Formats: sequence, C-alpha cells, structure tokens
Amino acid sequence: MEEKKAAIKYALVTGGSRGIGRAVCVQLAKDTSYHILINYNSNKEAALETLREVQSVGGSGEIIQFDVVDAELVKKQLDAWHENHKEAVVEVIVNNAGITKDGLFMWMKPEDWSDVINTSLNGFFNVTNPLIQKLLVNRYGRIINMVSVSGLKGTAGQTNYSAAKGGLIAATKALAQEVAKRNITVNAVAPGFIRTDMTDALDEKELKKMIPANRFGEAQEVAHIVSFLASEKSSYITGEVININGGIYS
Amino acid sequence: MTKQLIVEKINYFLVDEFEVEEEEIAPQANLKETLELDSLDFVDLVVAIEANFGVKLVGEDFLKIITLQDFYDLIERKIS
Repeated sequence: MEEKKAAIKYALVTGGSRGIGRAVCVQLAKDTSYHILINYNSNKEAALETLREVQSVGGSGEIIQFDVVDAELVKKQLDAWHENHKEAVVEVIVNNAGITKDGLFMWMKPEDWSDVINTSLNGFFNVTNPLIQKLLVNRYGRIINMVSVSGLKGTAGQTNYSAAKGGLIAATKALAQEVAKRNITVNAVAPGFIRTDMTDALDEKELKKMIPANRFGEAQEVAHIVSFLASEKSSYITGEVININGGIYS
Repeated sequence: MTKQLIVEKINYFLVDEFEVEEEEIAPQANLKETLELDSLDFVDLVVAIEANFGVKLVGEDFLKIITLQDFYDLIERKIS
C-alpha cells in the first residue's frame, strides 16, 4: 500500500503583493513553517518581489494570480493549484485584498460602491468558501480577515469601504461561531492609518495629530498580530476584531 | 452497482469511520440521531461518500434525508 505523504501546509494571503499583504507574507515566513501562497491580481512583479523577500528570510512559497472579485476564476485557479499540489493543504487564509474608492456619498458612482464591496466583502466569500470544506474535514484552520477602523467607527468619505469592512466584521463573527467546534478560528484585524501605497496620498503630517500615538503605523506592526492569529498560540481567540490603530479608536 | 452493495458499503463506513454500533443500523433509523451528527459533521459524510462512490453531495441533497433508507436511496439515485 502506498504510504500517505505528510501534507505540506500553506498559508494563503490575498493581495499579498504589496503593503500589509506583503508584510504579512514575510512575517508568516519568519514566524511559521507555512509555505506562503502569495495571491496577486495585476502586479506580478510586485508579487515576485514579495516571494523574494519571503525566501530571503528563509521561507518558501509561490505566487498565484486571481482577482478575488471573480468567483469563477478564483475557484478555477484554486482547483488547478490543488490538482498540481495534491499533498498540499491550505490551513491559513488571510483575506487581505482590498481597494478604496473614496468620495462623498452624494457624488458616489454606483461602480465605486460595488467595486469596493465586491473586493472586500465578496472577495472574502469567493476565496474562503471553496477552501473551508478542507479545513472542516481537517478539523483545523485559521481565517484572518483584514478589516479597518472604518468598518467599526465609519469614516466620512468612505461609506463604501466602511460598509464593506463592517459587513466583513459581521461575517467574521458569524462564521467564527459556525466553525469553532472544528478548531477553526476566524478573526479580523482592524488597522487604522498604516503607511502603505493605499495611504500614500494622505496628508500624514495633518492626520497624525488625531492619532494618540502621533504617527502612522507600519505594515509590519499589523503583520505581527496576523502572524499570532495564524499560529496555534491563538487557539481560544475567535470571532474577535483586533484594533491596531495607535489609539485612534477602541 | 446493486442496491445491496450500496447498502453494504454505506453500512461498512458508518461502522468503520463514524463509529456507529452495528446493531443501531436499520433502514428506518434516523440518520442524524444514529450518527450523532451535528450540521457540520455532514462534511465528513460528504467526504466518505465521495471516496466510496465518486459522487459529490451538496447541502440540498441532505434536506429530505431523515432515515438511513432515505440515505441509501439518495446515493442510488446519485450514482445511477
């Protein structure tokens, strides 16, 4: 009888090519033995740079292309990946892919509303749903959803983003209760102002006056909490939203 | 595959993998109660069926399944 090979464990990070996603990939490579599955949508070069950084800290991984908005494509790509990695199991899912299309609600175009919801909220479904059955069968898993302080307190000019992230927070809490019995935890991480491409256009000097810590956060600071939640150490934390915002909201 | 074989295969993995006592297995036995399944446990049943019969069950398939007989009939329909 053929001996059953030990499963190779992967952590999937959506939107892993840049910003917080990249920092999460590198931190997971440093702290855990997971192979990192780095998802990107359009910027392959940036995804490869993340992979190089993962490798430079002694980790290993690969890149996978899909737009989290496209449910059919996500499933197709993940099925194809599983077909080529029969011994692999995705044990950690970090739903990080997100976009902003800010503007006053009264001027907001319907596509600016739906694009943001489609990425942050529907993207969570499109990626997590095809993978959850395996987590349930394996009776172990970690799902971490990147949300935002906007999803908790709401941010003027970001009605769409606040709605998407608020919805994702509620989904986090509901799914956590559904799967807790099978040792699968589902948590959300809610960053405030973090220095990335997404916040590049913001006036940091002006905005930091409202932050008790008096500075923007670094992507790596967010990555540390994600890495903890992805580890076995966090086993009794589920359905939780962890703020990481320099004291701007609690 | 004959109905008899389907029933035997199902009974075999119920005993082997789901730790159901052999004497509890009867066509009119309630599937959920006999197996002490909660709703999430159906995922294990889906996997066992796929491994044994090569068919994938979905959530709706289980809606009308009450007894073991219903379950045998469902699998027979699925593989025919």
